Amino acid sequence: MKKSLMLTLLCVVMTAVYLVAAENEQKVEYDEDLYGPESLIIWEKPVKGVIFSHKRHTYEAGLDCSDCHDDLFEMMAGAAEEEDNFTMEAMYDGEYCGACHDGGFAFAADTRCTACHIGVRGVNRLENGSEEEGGSH
Amino acid sequence: MKIQELMKLKNEGTSGLSSRERRQFIKMGFIVTGVYFGGRILSLTSAVEAASSGTVPQEGEYSYSPHYTMVIREQLCIDCERCVEACHSVNDVPGHGRRTKILEKRRPIEYGGFETVFMPILCNHCNRPPCVRVCPTTATYKDEKTGIVVMNHDRCIGCKTCMTACPYNARYFKEEERYVDKCNFCRDTRLAQGELPACVTACPADVRIFGDLTDKKSRVYKLLHTPDTYVWVLRPETGALPNVYYTTA
Repeated sequence: MKKSLMLTLLCVVMTAVYLVAAENEQKVEYDEDLYGPESLIIWEKPVKGVIFSHKRHTYEAGLDCSDCHDDLFEMMAGAAEEEDNFTMEAMYDGEYCGACHDGGFAFAADTRCTACHIGVRGVNRLENGSEEEGGSH
Repeated sequence: MKIQELMKLKNEGTSGLSSRERRQFIKMGFIVTGVYFGGRILSLTSAVEAASSGTVPQEGEYSYSPHYTMVIREQLCIDCERCVEACHSVNDVPGHGRRTKILEKRRPIEYGGFETVFMPILCNHCNRPPCVRVCPTTATYKDEKTGIVVMNHDRCIGCKTCMTACPYNARYFKEEERYVDKCNFCRDTRLAQGELPACVTACPADVRIFGDLTDKKSRVYKLLHTPDTYVWVLRPETGALPNVYYTTA
């Protein structure tokens, strides 16, 4: 009798612990002031169809705003695109994304091209949510 | 004769046929099937016979001089479509048409999401071009010197048979002019002036390499003969012997 009571109690306690843990595990809400704009940035210059996700880098990977702003990237949207040296070459020299994407801290900038270069097709898919054939002008 | 009337007729059977008539019928069958059989094996194109021992032709197997080839370093393509834009402006391609386009392959990857590989496609300038075989007016033909599959627009009647024959979907119907149009490696617009095809020059990622395969110093030759790389063509099973190669180099 005592044993089964203990067992039931144990079960209840375990469930409670599990529930509390699950509660804690639920992630904090996405706060744009903390993590940057939630929507993807889509660069069209110097080449079309390149994306950057603040969410991926701050909210998920735990980087701070100051890790990139304002040294690597100006805070103002579209500022990097206007620079003449916003190129892969510059990234290989450790500028812009290349500061982390060097093959050590994060995958090297000269690998996995299509992780960021989603292309005209990728942008079409994002914007239309459709699988339509790429390259419609 | 109308079907209804035919159905009223009595079946004559085969006993009334002379063996001479039967023989003639069978002979005709042999001739007809023979034509198909021969047609499959002996292509009616004027193209030089160009079977090769492997995917990449070896010395002595080049059918043309210069043997124009495009090598596509597929993994580097980022689908920026500068090639498409350049092609359109240089070759007067209308908005609805494509001489080249970018397809994509996607596969799920281990940490979630997808890896995308973009696949540029264009006319493969096949050594045994199915489009040339089916053209009823010889409006499309293999250039004897370079092997480029060319269109003679004046001869095209717009029947689009070539479009259905092409294994690479590389042709489109130019509504405005009422003819079929396709990539010709910028033969008139750029090659004639000693320039590379527009898509090659426009590519920022060095994906498209164009050159003469018979020239051992050319990049195309080197790319197709680099150890530790993989070279393939699209749809090899059609037997069209394409001249656009894809490589991991």
